[in-house]
Amino acid sequence: MSTMGAAGEEPSVTPRRSKRTEILENRPVNLDGFVEEWPEVGMVAMDSPYDPQPSVRVENGVVVEMDGRTREEFDFLDQFIADHAIDAEAAERAMALSAIEIAHMLVDPKVSRDEVLAVSSGLTPAKLLEVVKTMNVVEIMMAMQKMRARRTPANQAHSTSARDNPVQVVADAAEAALRGFRELETTLGVVRYAPLVAIALQVGAQAARPGVLTQCALEEATELELGMRGITGYAETISVYGTEPVFCDGDDTPWSKAFLASAYASRGIKMRFTSGTGSEVQMGNAQGKSMLYLEIRCVLVTKGAGVQGLQNGSISCIGVPGAVPAGIRAVAAENLVASMVGLECASGNDQSFSHSDMRRTARLMPQLLAGTDFVCSGYSSVPNYDNMFAGSNLDCEDYDDWNVIQRDLQVDGALRHVPEDEILAARNRAARALQGVFAHLDLPSITDREIEAVTYSHGSEDLPFRDVLEDLKGAQSVMDRGITGLDIVKGLEAGGFADIAESLLGVLRQRVSGDLLHTSAILTPELTTLSAVNDPNDYAGPGTGYRPTGARWEEMKRLRHVVSARNPEEEVG
Amino acid sequence: MGGNPAVEGVAGKRILELTETGEARSGRRSDEVVIGISPAFGAFFSTTIVGLPHAEVLRELLAGIEEQGVRARVVRFRHSADVAVIAHTSAKLSGSGIGIGILSRGTTVIHQKDLVRLSNLELFPQAPLMDLETFRKVGRNAARYAKGESPEPVPSRNDHMARPRWQAKAALLHIKETEFVRAHAEPVELGVEIRMAHAG
Amino acid sequence: MTLVVGVDIGNSTTEACAAEIGEDGAIRYLSEALTRTSGVKGTTENVAGVVDVVRRALTAAGRECGELDAVLVNEATPVISGLAMETITETIITESTMIGHNPETPGGVGLGMGSTVPFADLPGCVAGSAVICVIGAGVDFEDAAAGINAATARGVKVTGAVVHADDANLIANRLRHPIPIVDEVTLVEKVPLDMPAAVEVAEQGHAIRTLSNSYGIATVFELDAEQTRVIAPVARALVGNRSAVVVRTPAGDVTDRRIPAGSLTLIGEKTRHTVTMDAGAAHIMETARRVAPLADAVGEPGTHVGGMLARVRDTMSELTAMPVGEVRIRDVLAADTFVPQRVTGGLAGEFALENAVALAAMVRTSKGPMKLLAAELRDALGVDVLIAGVEADMAVLGALTTPGTDRPVAILDLGGGSTDAAVAADGTDIHSVHMAGAGDLVTKLIDSELGLDDLDLAEEIKKFPLAKAESFFHLRLEDGTVRFFDDPLPADTFARVVVLTDTGLHPIPTRHGVERIRQVRREAKRRVFVVNALRALERVAPGGNIRQIDFVVALGGSALDFEIPDMIADSLAEYGIVCGTGNVRGCQGPRNAVATGLVAGYALSTTYAGPVAVGTQSCAPRP
Repeated sequence: MSTMGAAGEEPSVTPRRSKRTEILENRPVNLDGFVEEWPEVGMVAMDSPYDPQPSVRVENGVVVEMDGRTREEFDFLDQFIADHAIDAEAAERAMALSAIEIAHMLVDPKVSRDEVLAVSSGLTPAKLLEVVKTMNVVEIMMAMQKMRARRTPANQAHSTSARDNPVQVVADAAEAALRGFRELETTLGVVRYAPLVAIALQVGAQAARPGVLTQCALEEATELELGMRGITGYAETISVYGTEPVFCDGDDTPWSKAFLASAYASRGIKMRFTSGTGSEVQMGNAQGKSMLYLEIRCVLVTKGAGVQGLQNGSISCIGVPGAVPAGIRAVAAENLVASMVGLECASGNDQSFSHSDMRRTARLMPQLLAGTDFVCSGYSSVPNYDNMFAGSNLDCEDYDDWNVIQRDLQVDGALRHVPEDEILAARNRAARALQGVFAHLDLPSITDREIEAVTYSHGSEDLPFRDVLEDLKGAQSVMDRGITGLDIVKGLEAGGFADIAESLLGVLRQRVSGDLLHTSAILTPELTTLSAVNDPNDYAGPGTGYRPTGARWEEMKRLRHVVSARNPEEEVG
Repeated sequence: MGGNPAVEGVAGKRILELTETGEARSGRRSDEVVIGISPAFGAFFSTTIVGLPHAEVLRELLAGIEEQGVRARVVRFRHSADVAVIAHTSAKLSGSGIGIGILSRGTTVIHQKDLVRLSNLELFPQAPLMDLETFRKVGRNAARYAKGESPEPVPSRNDHMARPRWQAKAALLHIKETEFVRAHAEPVELGVEIRMAHAG
Repeated sequence: MTLVVGVDIGNSTTEACAAEIGEDGAIRYLSEALTRTSGVKGTTENVAGVVDVVRRALTAAGRECGELDAVLVNEATPVISGLAMETITETIITESTMIGHNPETPGGVGLGMGSTVPFADLPGCVAGSAVICVIGAGVDFEDAAAGINAATARGVKVTGAVVHADDANLIANRLRHPIPIVDEVTLVEKVPLDMPAAVEVAEQGHAIRTLSNSYGIATVFELDAEQTRVIAPVARALVGNRSAVVVRTPAGDVTDRRIPAGSLTLIGEKTRHTVTMDAGAAHIMETARRVAPLADAVGEPGTHVGGMLARVRDTMSELTAMPVGEVRIRDVLAADTFVPQRVTGGLAGEFALENAVALAAMVRTSKGPMKLLAAELRDALGVDVLIAGVEADMAVLGALTTPGTDRPVAILDLGGGSTDAAVAADGTDIHSVHMAGAGDLVTKLIDSELGLDDLDLAEEIKKFPLAKAESFFHLRLEDGTVRFFDDPLPADTFARVVVLTDTGLHPIPTRHGVERIRQVRREAKRRVFVVNALRALERVAPGGNIRQIDFVVALGGSALDFEIPDMIADSLAEYGIVCGTGNVRGCQGPRNAVATGLVAGYALSTTYAGPVAVGTQSCAPRP
């Protein structure tokens, strides 16, 4: 309408474009962001001229020089790694091997996992980087297949709600357990809701297929308290970083994190750290080092803190390595480094990564095909709009695709197809169990209408609203009254869900035995521990190691629609 | 809303001229809002992460404030590229105690002098979702806080697919902006002139 | 010695009072307990709550379940209430003739008159013509100002402007000769063009004078008497605005229409009367008084009130499992209220406060479930359970334990669903009534009048006082005093009106000031509780004469309210009545009256009729 300075008076000079360019331009992958490398500031995946050269010097059992820096020049990460993560006795001999020799050991099936661990315990961060730099993605996968700590792969899911609705969380947790996840993670939009949602997650996790471990990602003090009370079963969101300034931004040091780790251990609670490529450059403090070099420092800090495992694979910074050349190779390599120093690896694939279905599947392949301790950490068991970790690489709408890929390639991604009637029964029963627990604990009631709705729902949009103020008061009272996991057990028993009560009690009992402190421990539905101690990875080349066979393979063959061979007019399953 | 021809093409492009007029001082007028801009805003950088010209962004912030009958001062911060620091220091310089901090990529915060730095009145962390209409509303709300009114917060938006698209570019922009930080440089008061390119 | 527990099952809480009664009827009160009522009051769902509260009271008294002789429950008030609200007026603009949305920041000051012209046509206007410029979406404020300045320079008299964007000051500040400008007109393209129009903007803090006055508009547009009559609703609608636009269109019309809301037929025991809803609350209540006591109420089918009463009946039938046809409405309370409604045909999203009537209705429930409840309780506790009296009667006995009270005493039980009253004169006779309308209706009125659409927030506004967070370190309370804080207040409360709840400061996300919210809150309480208190006391007072009552004791949850008891006391003062909040047994405040009354009543009955045979069943815990 403007009569002044109107645009468009000059003739348009847009050059003519081909129709094909237009089609390609509109492909989802072009909504993703890509940037040029800039090694000087650390915007480079794994191949930077500014990364240090490997070196080590040991005097009187003390590492006095590491990766070109003398002890006086160490920052606190160097010092922590040199003193606690590197085996000084093994160091000089291990470092004498060339990177290529070590990489060959990793790939060669005739060299056992233990032999590799004996060498890797003496390697410095720069050396570990040099080793994985010699490997392509297939070699990284081959090495991962052997170095994974636990023989049987597993998977972890996110179970959250955009409205923090505990009724949704209990039903989705039960369904996720039934589908095969062995760990479940939740977090909150409104943090004060945490106690109710954590209780819901715990009840759901034991309701359909027992033995699933649960965690609630919160600020560290509350997360620890929920763990100590037995309302949650493990912890994961204890972040470490690869440079001093970024560590200090969170008012932390490797020692403070190690102290927190020991607090969990003191109660027999499983825990792992979290780190990932890209976090340092994202915060503008990469000190000119490559993303992978800094991540390897995080891996060794974790090892030095005596923690059994690490969640890595870039995690919430995946958009950063995802945007630079060889970034996803670096992400696969960081998972491998965690495994090759003997840690449990929960290997990411847990954040929205790409607009392109093709690209997000490709990003998953190295972990899915090789198998890791937890292929996703986690897979969104709710639609991504309900995912309070800002969306995952896979969500519940991808279940059928995942099951078909497992079946196509005969690769175990730890999930299975479950018929709808079983899922409905599990969701309904879990919600009723939570109704009983809330009634027993005098928490805001769950109505039959909510249970009916959640049985058939997809996400929070399908559920009746809860009285948020009442819920928040209830959540506060859980903290004030000192409610523990045992109170949940009593509530389940009182509500007539003796079997779920029994399962939860069994899970809580684990913290007395301490079995879950072993590397890469999970619980089977029969509540026995599977870990690197009693289920160590024994891969030694073709025909060895874990392969889906027998009952598990039969289970993997089932899909939503499979035409019957006996009567092609029918479907099996 | 005010037209934004500059986004459409060269024809209506506005030019932003910022001239340093001396060290920024604490204001005494209770009817002012201080807009704090980052070291490279309207200097090395000329647009936000999604390509909105800084001239238009600043113009909308100023218009939102002026429409409420409140005055605005623009100050450049050179010692930090942290939006919380910029917004909070702006608030402390402002006679009303209300300040806006904005980074080159578009991340924006409305702050108040008595809050702790990591708190805020309104926070717009997702720079890719900031459009000119939102900037106008940011200016408007800051001015209303300055008048002691209770504006409805500007609705916040969220997009979980922003990560794959913008996370790496945001990191680059942040690093680049940080390169212009000079440790102990004082904030400077700016004269602002925004005019059409062809009128000049 | 007899050990008994009196239990009062209320709508939301279940209260208990444990006591020992001597052979001579002397009562020793031991303890009390309170829990949430499980399920709908008066149904067998209550068992869990009662068992819980009895155990708690015994534990507090240090006594064993096995020592218990009897549990006394009240005959729960057999009433349940429902609410409905209906708008009865509507403002419709049939032709675009006015803009009265009152934007926060209009530009310029004064009155401008001329013919409406679109901004794009401004260059074509002849010198000397008077115009009002209409600036549509997408015009930049600098361009707009430059265009108006250019036209003015050519001799066109641009006397005012109407703008789509929030740009009025931005444009006015750039004009060589400022003019009144009204902005944020969302449907600016519907402003009739080439029509005589007037734009008026008042100084900040003032209201317009010309366009809000029918004769002012008549002067501006040179109207005759008949035309002035037609335009009068426009003026009325603009009263109190800081800015306005009136466009004179040939067929222009604003109506202030009353919606046929239907009629309500009130059926008394002897007579029936029909009253139309749009007559307003006062008239409805007057009619209700004439037919009292009410036997039922029926709404005209196919009208709003018909729908309202049908909804109430449905809810009641669902709650009580009575067939819809058997639900009888035994009392109604009507209250006038306002509901903000979008003006039909407005150009800028104008809202008008439309008249509405809120109706609370009360239904009597059957007594059947009480016996079932007692039987189940007997099974659960393994002890004698006595239905020991009518709730209101027991409340009177409990109220009489308040120090300083004496017969004749009346109680007012201010609850959530109903307001109950009972009076005890010198004898043992107690007369009681139940009135529709109490706390829930107040909440609903607050919610709708403030346009909150958030009953939880409305409930908080009802229960707690207000303040404004004037800085991060001080609050101005609604009584004008200031409270300072050492630690900064939460960021989301800054510059906002907040409710001072027991869980902290909760901001109220509206543009209403403290004064307005306070006024709405107090007025809602007055229209429900004060009206009901007078109505109820009138019904129970000997001879219908309130002056016959000496003492009034307020009980129930709403008696804990920080202002309702005072408001009632003020209104009763003129009758020479001593009114205050109860303090049962000198220590319980307005709580525990019925439970205490049950014990007191039981003690009375034992002394009159000799010791009650008490069973010796054991009280084993439930398997």
